[in-house]
Amino acid sequence: MGGEGAPRAEFPVQASVTAAELAEAVGVGPTLLARLVRLGLVEPLAPGADAFPASTVGRLRRMLRLHRDLGVNFTGAAIVVDLLERLERLEAELARLRRSA
Amino acid sequence: MAVKFRDYYEVLGVPRTATAEEIRRAYRRLARQYHPDLQPPAERARAAERFKEITEAYEVLRDPEKRARYDALGEHWKGGMDFTPPPGTAWTRAPGAAAEDFGPFSEFFAALFGRPAGDRRRGGVRVTFPGSDVVAELPVTVDELLRGGRRRLVVNGRTVEVELPRGVRDGTVLRLPGQGEPGPGGGPPGDLYLHVRVLPHPRYRVVGDDLEVDLPLWPWQAVLGADVTLETPDGPVTLKVPPGTQTGGRLRLRGRGLPRADGGRGDLYAVVRVVIPERPSPAERAAWEELRRRATAPADRPAEV
Repeated sequence: MGGEGAPRAEFPVQASVTAAELAEAVGVGPTLLARLVRLGLVEPLAPGADAFPASTVGRLRRMLRLHRDLGVNFTGAAIVVDLLERLERLEAELARLRRSA
Repeated sequence: MAVKFRDYYEVLGVPRTATAEEIRRAYRRLARQYHPDLQPPAERARAAERFKEITEAYEVLRDPEKRARYDALGEHWKGGMDFTPPPGTAWTRAPGAAAEDFGPFSEFFAALFGRPAGDRRRGGVRVTFPGSDVVAELPVTVDELLRGGRRRLVVNGRTVEVELPRGVRDGTVLRLPGQGEPGPGGGPPGDLYLHVRVLPHPRYRVVGDDLEVDLPLWPWQAVLGADVTLETPDGPVTLKVPPGTQTGGRLRLRGRGLPRADGGRGDLYAVVRVVIPERPSPAERAAWEELRRRATAPADRPAEV
């Protein structure tokens, strides 16, 4: 499959990230990240594993923005993000059903 | 250099006499209402604009020093009026700096308070914003899950090529660092998140790491057993159907399912469905009648297994 015009991707595609990569990507220190993991607000792929789903980066960024901009505490921000993700899944599902109806 | 005046009190909907507490409350309420993270995707961009105005207004009015400087301009200004900063204000155009290179806030803000310094005070001015993350769906076929390979897709008018990692499944999120939107004010670009959606396959159903394929059998193959050639993702395979195989029976072909991240593969299950010939020949019909005569099960009752 040769690319005419399309740039070859020069970046890693990741389905999972390590704690260090996660901390770097969202701009928090390892101590805060460890605390969030201990609180169960950020969950590794398996208990104790140094691997998080790639989607955690976006999730955690969102939590941190809500914390920073709205003053929600971390647990509250995690709940908000959970609910938003559920809402987005339902809305996507609804849109799909409407399209196929 | 004229810029458009911004009425920060109007943005927050508070009087010029508002207390710090009232300003904080107004900000919290508006921020909750317009925070881009709380909006449906279609409205996020519009909300982000409004949220930026709100944050800018709050940044000025929450800080007594900035507020005093802003108030000193007088109360006759209206939002949108041409405004030329009085001499002695902080901002001077850096040599070669582009006019829009102010970081997240407006030219009006920059004219009054200068280009925000590089500190990242908690809740304070951030010089640059990281670019927005971009989320897109990546539909993949079962064949792509099996063979892997490269996918090209267009996101926000840009072509991105993705190598599908082994072990990708429906719902897997792939992260492409730095492939999101560029950051305003020279901030780092956001990431691109691809949500994998596996498209239905006409033959194979995906169940975790395993695949299922229908295996229709004639009654005599199911009763007496048979060697049946079955098409699989790895080519045709001869399957030993044991005698007495029932509809719903599952014959496992080990290691012919989907590739796993650990290098292994799931299994392929052939799911048996006994079918009857729709138009038996006269000879076949005679044979079925013979079978009925010889069968021990009563002909006027439902079958029992």
